[in-house]
Amino acid sequence: VPGAGAALRPCSSRVAQDGIPQPVIDRIIRVDHAGEYGANRIYAGQMAVLGRSSVGPVIQQMWNQEKNHLKKFNELMVAYRVRPTVLLPFWNVAGFVLGAGSALLGKKGAMACTVAVEESISEHYNNQIRTLIEEDPEKYKELLQVIKQFRDEEQEHHDIGLEHNAEATPAYSVLKTAIQLGCKAAIFLSERI
Amino acid sequence: VRCQQYPPLRALQASAALRAASDEHKKEPWASSSQQHFDSPPAGHQPEEKPQGPHPSYTGQGGQQSEDYESEEQLQHRILTAALEFVPEHGWTAEAIAEGAKTLGLSVAAAGLFHSDGSELILHFVSDCNTKLSELLKKEQKLVQLGKAEKKPIDEFLRDAVEARLRMLIPYIEKWPQALSVLLLPRNIPSSLSLLTSMIDDIWHYAGDQSTDFNWYTRRAVLTAIYNTTELVMMQDSSPGFEDTWRFLENRVADAMAMSNTATQVQSTGEAVVQGLMGAAVTVSNAGTCRAVR
Repeated sequence: VPGAGAALRPCSSRVAQDGIPQPVIDRIIRVDHAGEYGANRIYAGQMAVLGRSSVGPVIQQMWNQEKNHLKKFNELMVAYRVRPTVLLPFWNVAGFVLGAGSALLGKKGAMACTVAVEESISEHYNNQIRTLIEEDPEKYKELLQVIKQFRDEEQEHHDIGLEHNAEATPAYSVLKTAIQLGCKAAIFLSERI
Repeated sequence: VRCQQYPPLRALQASAALRAASDEHKKEPWASSSQQHFDSPPAGHQPEEKPQGPHPSYTGQGGQQSEDYESEEQLQHRILTAALEFVPEHGWTAEAIAEGAKTLGLSVAAAGLFHSDGSELILHFVSDCNTKLSELLKKEQKLVQLGKAEKKPIDEFLRDAVEARLRMLIPYIEKWPQALSVLLLPRNIPSSLSLLTSMIDDIWHYAGDQSTDFNWYTRRAVLTAIYNTTELVMMQDSSPGFEDTWRFLENRVADAMAMSNTATQVQSTGEAVVQGLMGAAVTVSNAGTCRAVR
């Protein structure tokens, strides 16, 4: 009698319409969507506290760009039929709390948070770009274009944060490390769950 | 159609693992099977390779024309499909598979390729039904896109989709409780669960769901509950044409719609209340300031 070989697992050789393996695109879009969603909430939190201060317009402008990013990933998510991460409600709250909390430390605190988060996101996008290029730059051309553009914009946000005295925040390096650890954990979880 | 890929790869893994596990199941009795497919990497690698044989379009249904190259998974597919005819009589058992193999001109020992509890047969059937449902929904979607049909409201769409899927069980309804219990065996749960979730996801996709937030999960959970409970009701239903089941289904879908409307209303009411309180707070603080100034 046949042994336990018939594991009958879901077929991981499914492909999406353009020949991209579904599991690959699943992960990429899910984690990027979660990232942009979280970034949105962070800026929302910062605006709630610092909206009427002098850095209000700067934060608002960065927030608007993040909203565009999120919109794009929403579209990609529907187009490729990707499941969103189940942790979204959690990122909703955590993002807002992080944004508001860092803003309560003052304008420099908010900028420090921005620098930390945008650095993490840029690094993450760079990793994805590297992976996709190594795999097959032709197949992933569209996706690569999108990710590259977003990476450039996140890098801009990072630079804006530095321009606004992020590094002058008290306990800057501690704050930055803590936030970046949190981002790494968020990325790890959102890829999988 | 995503779920179409299931059967061949499953059988591919099954057969590759079988060959690794024991030497008894050599393919000699069946001259039509080809060896070349499987002299390659161990089962662990299979998921990464695309099936190398012809795509699951079942070339040569029982014919031997191109069949120097029928892969083992296609053969298994044919056997299981032929076996379905005998399920109403023999149940989801090795006997049904043996009878199916006989109609294809194969030895009854072919049943030895599969588990004795009929797991593969049932999973094959479920996967088949899901594929048929997807195709049906896709066809309907095309008709709507071409303007030849009206777009259905969501509750009607869900009702019709679930009904269409459950109707596929009718020829096998006597033996379906047995199948359900086999699908719940720990060994089969990963596969049966993933078949279920992909079917529900398909229905929502064709219903036009575009949620990208937690609603994605809520909707699928609700529809899964509706499907499962209706299936169970169907097992017990003895009314003519299963009309009790369809009425049950209609009520459950209506409940779900009502629930989602209530949720929306609660949310707007909550927001309105919050705004009212904020307004009251501002008024009170203004009044206090005025009094102080006077």
